[in-house]
Amino acid sequence: MDLFAQQLVNGLTLGSIYCLVALGLTLIYGIMEVPNFAHGHLYMVGAYVTFFAMTLYGLNYWLSALLAGVVLAVLGVLMERIVFHPLRHAPASNKFIAAVGAMMFLEALARVLWGSDFRSIPVIYDKVFTIGTLRITEQRLIVIIAAIFLMIALNLFLKKTIIGSSIEAMAQNRDGASLVGINVNNVAMLTFAIASILAAGAAALAGPIFLVFPSMGALIIMKAFVIIVIGGMGSIPGAVLGGYVLGITEAMGASYISTDYKDVVAFLVLILILTIKPTGIFAKGVR
Amino acid sequence: MLERRRYLVVFLVILLSLVLAASGCGTAKPAATNQGGSSTAAAKVVNIGYSGPLSGGAALYGQDTLNGLKMGVEEINHGGGITVAGQKYTLNLIALDDQYLPNMTATNARRLRTENKAPVIFTPHSGGVFAMQQFNQEEGFLIGAYTSEPKILETGNKLTYRIPPPYDGYPEPFSKAVMEKYGKRVALVPGTHQYAKDWTKVFVPVWEKLGGTVTGDFAVDYNKETDFYTYVSKALATKPDVLFVGGASKPTAMVVKQARELGFKGGFILMDQAKLEQMAQTVPMDQLNGAVGVRPVIQFDNPGAKKFVEAYKKFKNGEDPAWEQAWHYTAIKVVAKGMEKAGTVEDAAKIFEGMKQIFPLNANDWVAEIKGISAKGGMLGEAHGIMVIDGKYGPDMPITLKD
Repeated sequence: MDLFAQQLVNGLTLGSIYCLVALGLTLIYGIMEVPNFAHGHLYMVGAYVTFFAMTLYGLNYWLSALLAGVVLAVLGVLMERIVFHPLRHAPASNKFIAAVGAMMFLEALARVLWGSDFRSIPVIYDKVFTIGTLRITEQRLIVIIAAIFLMIALNLFLKKTIIGSSIEAMAQNRDGASLVGINVNNVAMLTFAIASILAAGAAALAGPIFLVFPSMGALIIMKAFVIIVIGGMGSIPGAVLGGYVLGITEAMGASYISTDYKDVVAFLVLILILTIKPTGIFAKGVR
Repeated sequence: MLERRRYLVVFLVILLSLVLAASGCGTAKPAATNQGGSSTAAAKVVNIGYSGPLSGGAALYGQDTLNGLKMGVEEINHGGGITVAGQKYTLNLIALDDQYLPNMTATNARRLRTENKAPVIFTPHSGGVFAMQQFNQEEGFLIGAYTSEPKILETGNKLTYRIPPPYDGYPEPFSKAVMEKYGKRVALVPGTHQYAKDWTKVFVPVWEKLGGTVTGDFAVDYNKETDFYTYVSKALATKPDVLFVGGASKPTAMVVKQARELGFKGGFILMDQAKLEQMAQTVPMDQLNGAVGVRPVIQFDNPGAKKFVEAYKKFKNGEDPAWEQAWHYTAIKVVAKGMEKAGTVEDAAKIFEGMKQIFPLNANDWVAEIKGISAKGGMLGEAHGIMVIDGKYGPDMPITLKD
């Protein structure tokens, strides 16, 4: 029972990070209909920005996270302009290749600029709370709460503001959206900015717990893809649910089946869900 | 029509594979540090090969090992190179990237041998050593093997020079030290790479022989997993007194840190791959209490080690060296002396024989006292362990080597 509660908390922490990254991925998929392989690497850049802001410039943790958000928003928009915008009329496979290219570019750039070492963001919130035998650090608690906060903020933005609704409108029907006067270009840039901010948020939150290194993005992007497939490509509630499901399944699978089969369990869930509901839990835009 | 299209597809596939093959070669750029040539016009150049991970997850490790060689080569060349049978030579280090992949080490080695005529090729991983052992005797080059894997010398290969002490000397003294202080129950949380698996295989029987029990194996991929909480939580649920951990230093440090966060109060046994001094950059020393590992080279106070540490700091802007750099620096100098002794820069077998004759090396001039090179080809250097006690490095723990 102790182990169960502990693993549940561990799974929630992991799931929160997965959710934030998967949300960005699913948003971009929603409007571009192409998986942005480079999204995990935006997360990596976000972690580096947070790291340097804190260690080189001695910025406060929250300010560093904010700075990472701003830098990443700019980077996201640049990526849309330079990589994806010129390909907007090209076949999906071209965008696909471009995304992979952007991913490799970012990783190689990180290696050249910052080297291959593992770095760790200094931990400020390192108090450990003990509830019975359950132990959780302050930082992990912050991850769980801040992720929920970010998700609520995103939801409010998409549902309650006009700009937000325009993103949803475009995700639902690109042609329809431009017919009613939505500027497709602006929405595309905006979506990239928001998705990148979410990635920066995830990175800033996870940074002090995990290590920062150039290939960290490749690890999380795999998980994020599984999540958006589970949740339904392009679906926002799907990404949230998928993120938590994957995080908790991994933790539980590792503790009750075998640590060797942790990923096997996670992918088994993926196969099961896809067998029962091939379009994902929250199917959207089935064609 | 269909026929023609099929030909087209086949043609495209071939074209694509050619392009890929070409780009694959392109990634292995020679990072030559050519210091011979113009200034010493009379001196000839002898190429020294290196193949190691210079990109990818183990790139830092690769760079560290390469830096040791670079420093050694630079020093030798600044001192006027080597004199072999009356002829002056300078060393030229050619480094190729193998991304930690044994098959790429083999490709690189062939290239270093045929194109550059390198008589010695260094590699810092056991997989690469095994791959080169398939053909190094026929092609006539010596492997400078930086791996503490004892198995590399059991293949009977006559041209393998193992540089660091083998790891099979560590488990017993390490186990005794933590067992005495913390208890007999150990949970295994090592990496999943081959090296960690082999280490674990050597460690477990030793621990059990000493009367200890293993509560379970919770191996985790140190390079692919982002969070170790899941594994560590499960390992701690088996109520161990000691955790057996090891992989690259930083991830290992994270495992230690997370174990402490989860309330673990026992000791740690570190595989020799993880370096205490590098881990201490991530976790505070008092969290490392009860961790036993290899004693850092910067801790040694013999004149040879001190001189090396000073020189390395100058070479790399104040950066502290680890054993990776120290042993590589030593190895390249041993090779250079061996060439002088043997009177050849071409015949690898004779060079190796020459190397064996330059010992013993004393600890006043060298990083450690080195007795010689064993019949199988292992360099007989010193090995020392150390335990962290009350947030400080404890007393020295000399290791008796089996080779």
